[in-house]
Amino acid sequence: MPPILLGLAGTGCGVAQAWLLSSILCGLLGLGGGGWPALAGAAGLALLQIALGVAQETAASRAGEAARATLRHRILSRLLAETPSSRPAGEGAALVVDRVEAMDGYFARWIPAAALAVTAPLVVALCAAAVDTLSGIILLAAGLLVPIGMAVSGIGASVASRRQFDALQRLSGRFLDRMRGLPTLVLFRRQDAEARALDAAAQELRRRTMRVLRLAFLSTGALELVAAAVLGCLAWRHGILAAAGHPVPQAALFCLLLVPGFFAPFRAFSVAYHERMSAQGAASALAPILDGPEPAGLKLEEVPPSVTLVVDHLSHRPDPARPMAVEDVSFRVLPGETLVLSGPSGAGKSTILKLLMGFAAPEAGRIALNGRDALALLPAERRRLIAYLPQRPVLLRDTIRENIRLARPEADDAAVEAAAAAAQVTSFTAALPQGLDTLVGEGGHGLSGGQRLRVALARAFLRDAPLVLLDEPTAHLDPATEALVLDSLRRLCTGRTAVIASHSAALRARFPRVLELREGRVVPQRRAAAP
Amino acid sequence: MSAARDLVRVLGLWRARGGWLTLGAITAGASALAGLALLALAGNGVAQGLATGTLAAGAASLVLLRPLILIRPLLRWAERMATHEATFRALADTRTWFFRRLAERLPAGPGLTRSGDLLGRLVTDVESLDGLYLRALVPMAAAGAVVVAVAAILGSLSPVLAAIVAVPLALALLLPVLVAPFAGRAAAAAAGATGTLRAEAVEPLTALEDILAAGAGPRALARVEGAAEAMDRERRRLSRAGSLGAATGTLLTQGALLGALAWGLAGGAAGAVVVALFLVLAASDALGALPRAGAALALAGAGARRLLEAADTPVPVPDPPSPATPSGHAIAVRGLRFAWGPDRAPVFENLSLDLPEGGRIALLGPSGAGKSTLAALLLKLAAPQEGVITLGGVDYASLTADAVRSRIACLTQEATLFDDTVAANLRLAAPDAPEAALWEALERARIAELVRALPEGLETRCGEAGARFSGGQARRIALARALLSPASVIILDEPTAGLDAATERAFLETLDTALGGRSAILITHRLIGVERPTRILRLAGGQALPAMS
Repeated sequence: MPPILLGLAGTGCGVAQAWLLSSILCGLLGLGGGGWPALAGAAGLALLQIALGVAQETAASRAGEAARATLRHRILSRLLAETPSSRPAGEGAALVVDRVEAMDGYFARWIPAAALAVTAPLVVALCAAAVDTLSGIILLAAGLLVPIGMAVSGIGASVASRRQFDALQRLSGRFLDRMRGLPTLVLFRRQDAEARALDAAAQELRRRTMRVLRLAFLSTGALELVAAAVLGCLAWRHGILAAAGHPVPQAALFCLLLVPGFFAPFRAFSVAYHERMSAQGAASALAPILDGPEPAGLKLEEVPPSVTLVVDHLSHRPDPARPMAVEDVSFRVLPGETLVLSGPSGAGKSTILKLLMGFAAPEAGRIALNGRDALALLPAERRRLIAYLPQRPVLLRDTIRENIRLARPEADDAAVEAAAAAAQVTSFTAALPQGLDTLVGEGGHGLSGGQRLRVALARAFLRDAPLVLLDEPTAHLDPATEALVLDSLRRLCTGRTAVIASHSAALRARFPRVLELREGRVVPQRRAAAP
Repeated sequence: MSAARDLVRVLGLWRARGGWLTLGAITAGASALAGLALLALAGNGVAQGLATGTLAAGAASLVLLRPLILIRPLLRWAERMATHEATFRALADTRTWFFRRLAERLPAGPGLTRSGDLLGRLVTDVESLDGLYLRALVPMAAAGAVVVAVAAILGSLSPVLAAIVAVPLALALLLPVLVAPFAGRAAAAAAGATGTLRAEAVEPLTALEDILAAGAGPRALARVEGAAEAMDRERRRLSRAGSLGAATGTLLTQGALLGALAWGLAGGAAGAVVVALFLVLAASDALGALPRAGAALALAGAGARRLLEAADTPVPVPDPPSPATPSGHAIAVRGLRFAWGPDRAPVFENLSLDLPEGGRIALLGPSGAGKSTLAALLLKLAAPQEGVITLGGVDYASLTADAVRSRIACLTQEATLFDDTVAANLRLAAPDAPEAALWEALERARIAELVRALPEGLETRCGEAGARFSGGQARRIALARALLSPASVIILDEPTAGLDAATERAFLETLDTALGGRSAILITHRLIGVERPTRILRLAGGQALPAMS
């Protein structure tokens, strides 16, 4: 509300100043009117108008900030609750950053500008009508024509604007994807070809954007046409009146001086209208995410010291076009037991672990923890019971120490160091000058594949949860390190309930309980019959 | 003024788009002059009519007014189209230029720079450069044309009046340059804060599984909110600089307006004052955009700085000025010493090895022994501090990186699949490979069966970083890609990681056919006995020692 009131007060100042200016001009033309006092008044009004403008702008940007903060919080919360890797990270970031920022214009400028575009010209037109009725009518008629012209060109622009936003988002996603894989492109000497392809994508974006703007600018052109026509009409009207001896000479100049002020709110509206268009495009991308069902489920009263895991006839099909990834899998793991999921890659090992983690909901079947239905729990609550090592763990751009501490932020340095030692992290950080405080790049740059894995494994140690799920904990390790890590895995799994997906022979030698999987199904156990 | 120097360099990048850029500025000037003429003619016509009491005196002005009513909106539309077209063309050029520079300077990846931040530089900072042309240079050109026209018209009526009006207007013309340094620091901070926000948003989304597993969602949320708050704080400072600039601009135009009237009250010619009044009124429309131009100039300066900073990192291994061509593809390494940084322990000390044409070395060693570093050196991603590497008898120092990489292909541990089709991912290695060759490579990497079973086959999209496939499957597609390469030497870094024992054995047994007579370096933790290497080396203590097999 304040930005609108401040804007109206500014318009009032403008009208009053125009009246004073026209009276001075009349005086100069020898038609009788104001002199120095009027000039002093005009100067005072100019200063007041400037102050009101600054205040209006500040108030508007505060309103935009508050609205964006709320929106950003909601959208990011939803994205963090989605199935991992169901949406490219670049696209997610574009939603949280660009699309939310695109809403800024809506809150900060569109709402006040829309209100002022209706009220301010009306005030100006009424003032004009008070001194010359026909001039007032001309202004009012023009005021009605402006929105019609804008609406006609705006309808097409809205559709095109959404299309343009899609293109921008695709371009962002593509840049991030190619930037991440830059080493691969360089090794295959495809960086030039890729640069050309990116250029073509940018040109495509330009063509789309120009298509939006061609229409959007048409509404600017329409506004200018109306403004010029009004000026022409008023000039002729008062030119002819003047020829016949103008009844109120000051009215003629007053009406002409009002024209720029009359159209200023419309110009602001037109600028803001483009912002509303892009906000609408952004809103249409944000809405489906915000309107999705809120993740529902029960909360956990406390983390139990031990967990019995029962998986009952579990089936899952991540993609309707593809065969079942997991089909009718059942098993039970008691506290202190470790189950190894084995089988060729693509057999469904990782999918089972992801279903247990709640990254996706199974199509059929039941997961029970201590006899209670785990699917009824909020996924975040279920994860409080679990320490999980993903197949492709990602390290954050931070020190090794903080990367480990992520698993339990309240853990003290001693606990972090113990976890690092248990996962054989200290065996390579000892050689680094800054040890555990060595900074790693995004995605673990600066560490080898095996080293990254051990850092992620240290997280699982630090987590200290009753249920342990590990996806390929010894891939990328040389036999000597693997043996060391296996020793510590043994310690990690002791007394806990553990499920490990792996096809390492050394690992299976340590953990004899194996569930063989092939194409998502359990392979009947041969060893069951053996002594 | 380093910001000015950066912006001049950016303008240099846009030289090829000079035609469009000039056209935009000229239409902007013409459109502003049409607006000026419109208001001045209307005011003059009416005032003359009032002063003389006849239509004839003002009629000339009013007749001239009519065509302008149509010309002004047309020019305005043309101006906006031309300036935007010019901007988008120039920005597309900038983006491609930046990508090429990064490919040259960061061939081994973004390293400690976050890819989210790099993305920000590509998207946001490049876009902030549109401020340079669209919001600074174009309005300044238009306002400049208007001020010159006002000075010329009034100068012909009264030089004193011209001075009273034109001096404050000319000062307003300087506003962007005066505001820019004040807004500059705020703009740099705002651009930096936006980059941080983007990076904070990208990171938890790339590491989503890890974040969820650690229950660190609320923490990520808090960090994003903190970054957003910092960004808004900087922006507030920037917009304050903008609105103070706007206030100064209004003050100056009002000064011109009231100055003209005061001159009239003090006895100046009334006709000239009327003309001056309406000219100033019209000029304030064109000059109104200038204070914003200052903020835009500052933002563009900050964006340019961040772009150029990343684009100007030194090339890690520059190409020699007069490159040689290797004869053959035998590789020899002699007395190599290498460390990743002056403060890091050396990875190699006095390392020597030979790979004759058609030879096959198995390179063993614990993780961290430098196996991947050796691959980086052989691919000329890094240069040794001491010692030489030769390819076909020619020292690497006199070979271009391109010449090396066209002869040596590599499956690195970080080999990524792009968010494109399987076929497009494979064709990175051999752009013109026929479909049959793609299938053959997939066959050799033991992944053809899976791809064939997909409903879209080779046209299946891999998803970001190969997310559509399991880790082992993505790795085998990357392996197929390396095998497809026409290079005569092939480095396979852990080619069987993520494979189950049976598939691993099957692949290694058929390694001969897969390599097809090419030289190969097989980097691995252990041998399973079917690889048949011509030599087995073990990396230890920075040297390659013959291993007992």
